Amino acid sequence: MVIAVDGLVKHFRVSRRAPGLRASLGGLVRRRYDVVRAVDDVSFEIPEAQVVGFLGPNGAGKTTTLKCLSGLLHPTAGRVSVLGHTPSDRSSAFLEQLSLVMGQRNSLFWDLPALDAFMVNKTIYRIPEPRYRETLDELVDLLDLAPLLDRQVRVLSLGERMRCELAGALLHRPRVLFLDEPTLGLDVTAQAALRGFLADYHRRHGATVLLTSHYMGDVTALAQRVIVIDRGELRFDGDLAALTRRHAQHRVIRLQLSGAVPVDGLGLDVVEHEGLSLSVRVDAARTAEVAARLLATLPVEDLAIEEPPIEDIIRSVFAGG
Amino acid sequence: MAEISIRYPALMRSSALAVLAYRGRLVVGFLTDLFPFLLMAVWLTVVATAGPPRGWTAADFVAYYAMAAVLMQLSGQHVVWEWDRDLRSGDLSVRLLRPLHPFHQYVASDLGYRVVSLALFVPGLVLVAVLLPVLTLDLTVTRAALAVPATLLAYLVGVLMASIVALLGFWSTQTTNVWMLFWGLGSFTSGWVAPVELMPGWIEAVAPWLPFFTTLGFPVELWTGRMTESESGVHFVVAVGWALLFAAAYTVVWPRAVRRYQAVAG
Repeated sequence: MVIAVDGLVKHFRVSRRAPGLRASLGGLVRRRYDVVRAVDDVSFEIPEAQVVGFLGPNGAGKTTTLKCLSGLLHPTAGRVSVLGHTPSDRSSAFLEQLSLVMGQRNSLFWDLPALDAFMVNKTIYRIPEPRYRETLDELVDLLDLAPLLDRQVRVLSLGERMRCELAGALLHRPRVLFLDEPTLGLDVTAQAALRGFLADYHRRHGATVLLTSHYMGDVTALAQRVIVIDRGELRFDGDLAALTRRHAQHRVIRLQLSGAVPVDGLGLDVVEHEGLSLSVRVDAARTAEVAARLLATLPVEDLAIEEPPIEDIIRSVFAGG
Repeated sequence: MAEISIRYPALMRSSALAVLAYRGRLVVGFLTDLFPFLLMAVWLTVVATAGPPRGWTAADFVAYYAMAAVLMQLSGQHVVWEWDRDLRSGDLSVRLLRPLHPFHQYVASDLGYRVVSLALFVPGLVLVAVLLPVLTLDLTVTRAALAVPATLLAYLVGVLMASIVALLGFWSTQTTNVWMLFWGLGSFTSGWVAPVELMPGWIEAVAPWLPFFTTLGFPVELWTGRMTESESGVHFVVAVGWALLFAAAYTVVWPRAVRRYQAVAG
């Protein structure tokens, strides 16, 4: 296994203070602390070259887990192994094979063109010149970076900066790639471009990828497997289809009718009825039976069965459904 | 160590390029480099009104504070502000993810900045020395050969001392105020407020054994000839001792400090 997490626990001690001047002055004398259980007994394993989507609401513990896996945070308890290393040891041999891309964090040099940061990475990661040239050319091509390389990072748009961030993070061809909200704040076009690039990069280099994102599109486009975490606890670990099977208890049947019919007396859970379009929600186990009945009793021109949106499924996981 | 040192030039280069990106910052930086000359002006007034204290003439003060201005640039204290900012913002995460200890990243970055500022400052100082004969160093080859390693040791001790104070940020989050207090108290024994020879007897007796003197007074007195070659031996021993002590302290504190890192934001 490239990544092995066994009973990972990470607790933070954070100070707590009410707003206002009085509370501020009081805080100078007496501090109050809370223990935040960011990750509580989480275990999973990821084999080489797998892309895993790491899902959960804000504060679920996704980023904390990634930070433990990349050696930024020392676990409170439990064992973590990445590429055979204990991440918190932060050995050079480990860090040279890893990248963590954080959507909200700038790892380039703000006042310099991205190319200057790439040169620093080349030295720090000891990338031989021919391989650096080859990888840079590939990344410039895939990410369309040519017009950006000689511009100060601070004048780049968010999408442009993220493309440069990714290039900087991939120059040393990491075997393990942690992506924390890589498409956060990007427009739809930039999100799609970044997803396309990541999928292509994974195909070419076979890196093991753990991806967190609030955009389900990122996960469905890239991940073969999802891990769902909520309030620090693991809720689901498996492939997307299994997640859908387990948590999508309803289907939506969309009908296009050839003539108007009254729907009140049909005993259906109507989701939408407008003109000749009709959508009904049915229990997943009865989908075929209801679809057959609708075809037999209504003037159906077209029929489609849809699974609920993945966002709804994830919501049902968080709700304990 | 060789593995680490080959990474310094690239980081120094990027830091130097960042300094050169803003002309205004360069000018302001140059002006703050002139700050030691304010103290020089105070002492020149003293000489003019009360005569040379303990035989220190106007020329002695000019040479002393000119070299103090150079050594101030090599104090290494800038790293405290870098550590402090990165710890509070969480930007330290970026440095921790690189396969090079953050200490080296901060030092290389500081050196890159110093290369640019010294490249502007030292030629300016030489020009002043040529135009105003009052600024002379009366340097011998032997003393210069000793002053160079003394200056390097001053930087090493200074940057190690500043880095250890910076590590307190893992416990207190904010360290620049602690450093200002530490540095402010130390400036009475470093030779910054006044040459140690002119301080009260007990400070003059204690100062040579403290790290603050190693970072400023020791190399400045060697450069200006206030300290002889034979007198410098004991100060080299003290300087190496502080360097080793601080390096050992850093290696002990660092693993405990980094365990407390919370990697805030992002």
